[in-house]
Amino acid sequence: MDPIAVLKSVELFEGLSEDELDSVLRICHQRTFKAGDLITEQGHPGDELFVIQDGFVEVLRKDSTTDSTPKTVVNLGRGQIVGEMALVDRGRRSATVRAISDETIVQVIQRDDFDRLCDSNHHLGYTVMRNIAADLSFKLRHSHFSHR
Amino acid sequence: MAKVYKVSYVVLGGKHPGGITNTESEPKPGDQVTLDKNRYSVVEVISLVPPRGEFHYLHVTLKPVEA
Repeated sequence: MDPIAVLKSVELFEGLSEDELDSVLRICHQRTFKAGDLITEQGHPGDELFVIQDGFVEVLRKDSTTDSTPKTVVNLGRGQIVGEMALVDRGRRSATVRAISDETIVQVIQRDDFDRLCDSNHHLGYTVMRNIAADLSFKLRHSHFSHR
Repeated sequence: MAKVYKVSYVVLGGKHPGGITNTESEPKPGDQVTLDKNRYSVVEVISLVPPRGEFHYLHVTLKPVEA
C-alpha cells in the first residue's frame, strides 16, 4: 500500500496536507513484531510513538507494584496509536504493550524528530496534538463503555 | 479518500477486554466481526462523536457467536 495512503488512514494525521504527510513519512521507521513481542513496558522510560499499520496489540496494566499479573485493558488494531502519553508528558510508560498477531507492522516516530517537526511547522504541530487529544478522549470514552 | 470508521468494541460478558480499530465498512447490528480469532455478533452501534473529515467514530457492542 502507498505509504501516504497508510498515513491518511490514521486519525493522528487527519487534517494534514500532502506536503505535511510527506514530512511525517520522512520521520517514520517501520518495525514488524511477532505475536508475544513487547513493544513498550509499563514503568520504563519511552521516547517513541507507535502507529499500528497492521495487526493487533494488547495493552496490559498492573494496578500496583505488588500486582504480579497484568490485566489486559484493551486491544488496539489498525490505525491506532500507542506511546502517545510518554511522548507528550515525558513520563514513564503507563502500560505494557504486546503484539498479539504475527506480522504486527508499526510505524515508529522518535520524540526528538516529532518535536522538531512540530516546532518547524506549527499547523502540523497543532493538528497532530489536537488529534492526539481526540484519540485520548476516544480511549476514555471506550473505557467508560467497558466499565458499564 | 474512502470513509474510515474508528470503532470502539465492547464484548458483553466481560471476558474480552474489548478493542479499538479502524474498519473500512460501517458495522451494522447483526453483522459478524472477528477479534482475536473469535467471532462476535454486533448487537448495537452508537455514533460516539461527530465525524471529522473522512473519520467516523462509533461504539459497537458485541456478543460471542455460539459455536
